[in-house]
Amino acid sequence: MSKKSRKLIRSTPVAGEAEAEVEVEAVVPAAPERTFFFLPDAPPLEVDEHELHGLMKLWRHGRATRSIGQVLQDSYVMLFSVVMIGAMVVSVVLRAQGNMAGCSTDACASGRLLVPTAMVLACFAVALGVARLFGPVLASAAEGFWLMDAPISRRRLLRGRLVLPLLLSFLVAGLGTALVGALSGLAWAQVLAWSCAAALGSAGLVSLAASEQTRERVVVVKVLQAVFAAAALAVLLVVVSVAAGWLPTTFVAVAEPATWLFAGVAAAGLIGMVVLLQLTVARLEEIRRARLVSGGSLVAGMQGAMFALDFGLIRDILVERRMAEKGHVKPTRGRGLGLAALVWRDVERLKRQPSAFLGLGMSLFVPYAVDALRMSQLNPFISGLALVAGLVPFLGSMRVLSRTGGLARTFPFKTAQLRTATMAVPAMLALVWGLAATPAFIGIASTGADRSIISGLSVALVTSLAGLMGAVRWVTAKKVDYQTPMMATSSGALPPGLIFNLFRGLDMVVLITAPLILQLPAYWSLVIGLIVFWALRGSFNMADLQAEQEQAKRELAEAKEGRGEKQKIPRPGR
Amino acid sequence: MARKTPVLKVTNLKKAFGPVVIVDGFSLEVAAGEAIALTGRNGAGKSTVLRCLVGADRADEGTVEVNGTRVSETNPEIRRDVATVIDDIDFFPDLSVVEHLDLLARAHGIPDADAAVDEVLHEVQLVPQSGQLPSTLSSGQLRRLALATAFIRPRKLLVLDEPEQRLDTEGVEWLADRLVEERRRGLAIVMASHDPTLVQKVATRTIRLGDRAEVLADE
Repeated sequence: MSKKSRKLIRSTPVAGEAEAEVEVEAVVPAAPERTFFFLPDAPPLEVDEHELHGLMKLWRHGRATRSIGQVLQDSYVMLFSVVMIGAMVVSVVLRAQGNMAGCSTDACASGRLLVPTAMVLACFAVALGVARLFGPVLASAAEGFWLMDAPISRRRLLRGRLVLPLLLSFLVAGLGTALVGALSGLAWAQVLAWSCAAALGSAGLVSLAASEQTRERVVVVKVLQAVFAAAALAVLLVVVSVAAGWLPTTFVAVAEPATWLFAGVAAAGLIGMVVLLQLTVARLEEIRRARLVSGGSLVAGMQGAMFALDFGLIRDILVERRMAEKGHVKPTRGRGLGLAALVWRDVERLKRQPSAFLGLGMSLFVPYAVDALRMSQLNPFISGLALVAGLVPFLGSMRVLSRTGGLARTFPFKTAQLRTATMAVPAMLALVWGLAATPAFIGIASTGADRSIISGLSVALVTSLAGLMGAVRWVTAKKVDYQTPMMATSSGALPPGLIFNLFRGLDMVVLITAPLILQLPAYWSLVIGLIVFWALRGSFNMADLQAEQEQAKRELAEAKEGRGEKQKIPRPGR
Repeated sequence: MARKTPVLKVTNLKKAFGPVVIVDGFSLEVAAGEAIALTGRNGAGKSTVLRCLVGADRADEGTVEVNGTRVSETNPEIRRDVATVIDDIDFFPDLSVVEHLDLLARAHGIPDADAAVDEVLHEVQLVPQSGQLPSTLSSGQLRRLALATAFIRPRKLLVLDEPEQRLDTEGVEWLADRLVEERRRGLAIVMASHDPTLVQKVATRTIRLGDRAEVLADE
């Protein structure tokens, strides 16, 4: 314990401390029979939960190496950049809001109502999903081990933990919906109604998840999450259908009642949050330690992965957790021998992950929505990114075989063969996706793309290739190597790989779709895509090439030595 | 006794991490039917040597050959001939115990994969857990699954890093018997171990790693 902490603990203002000290001096005999005290020269203090928190805060304070001022001083460039970029974003949003508000057609007005509505529903689904995943009430492993064993009230210890998830859900949902609402061109009063509904509704649903956590139930939360996700998807489908002219633009008529409806949702969310919070706090005493620590350890694992910006690891942690919850599967017999067995196992796996098909299905809406929103030029890039997200869950085999060498070593194949085999099923899915998305690239809306069938098909296939390659790049990403030379930044020394981790997957999509965006013929993209495929399947392994080169050098040196040739001895530096 | 053709040949192996030299000038020849035990205190370099033998780590100097082929982790011939149980083994999170073994048997082209899987599953006593996913297995059961992945497939050289780890007493006895049987069938084995009983029962040669590699016993 630091001297500062010790000093702070001694000086902690405890009620009646002065009197207690006087009593101790008066009562304690000259040779006290003490066997153990927290501090050798002070009597043991009885602390309650509040004081325990204060004590922990003091210890942390004592261990801090830099003040907040120093931290801000060191990262002033980053802060300045954030402020600048924030101002630019706000300016762009305001201008976009003005432009979009200027569009007075029925199709624009319908989209203006429907897109933020889909956002509100998506916020509800995400809030419930994240709350169920983490708890939402959680405790760290250390707290679970040290504090939960102590005779203290869990209710008093944990009630403060509800504040952060509520605040986060409120802010993220509120700000996100406000942004989407403004970009869609909603009037400011409507933006307020929609974002309040999203913020307060999400906070209310997080309270519901917390209440269900204290009862050890998840069914209600799961059902609500599925309902909101399906509703969000349905609304997005309506947006695309309206833009394509498949549905009438009669939604304009409900603009006024919709504003009141969302104001009502916000009020219901607020009331629900208050009531459910009361119930939850009352039941916090009964919450099991394992349930609390589980969320805490998940957060700790994800924090560690986030420090290295290792999104693949974050996904691995989530997959591992889901599988641990599942625990058991009905085993299925494999088919084929050699590489065919690997491909067949991936086919069998498809039955086990219906939710992955939902993600892939949702990504199929993106090209249609982008075309409907008159952004056909950027459609291959945006849709390619959506496909990356949709395909990643299908590349589980490739991920496991590339994250450590151990499992790959047990298979009698080259790395390139393994990767090609594990790419087979996702490639088929990407092909089907490309065919299904072709109408969007030919053009569905009157103002969207206007391509021939052949041209639209080739753009769709290039987009699906870009998505597949982006997903392969994402799952085969190596961990950040902290042994490489560091880069000096305003935030301290960083390994270069840390920054590049942010762009893994995205880089391949940009590379392959760039010719399309630049309006070059599609075969340019196809050629780039094939080169990327050749590289990503591990056709050349840099480590192997380097080793072979070193080996050749060594053998050459040995041969020279054997022939008795003079070896150059480097001159020692002065 | 006439020396057999070596399955594994290590010549002047050197591996250092920065300024710390872990192993230097390590040479070894292992013939079919031989079992080598590497012993020594923690940090003596046992695992490092094994990782270099299977190509998981690259040696700074020296060569490692299996049946005359230079070891490379990505070489399919090496992958076919060398079965390993070292610490970097990973499992598919969504495949059950039996599916892992089935996949591996089929990937190695074993024609009657079902029978082979049943046999190994019984042997490692994981029949009740056959449908379980790896994340729900205990550490001992995971070790048994790792050993099963080595026994289900064809192999000429078996490399094991502390295979007795996390196994119960009965499990260690079974492992010792199984390794002796493997050795008698003509398999070459290199293992690192801290269990004297296992070493005594299985090894034909024991090499204690430390400041200097030292051959303690030669059968």
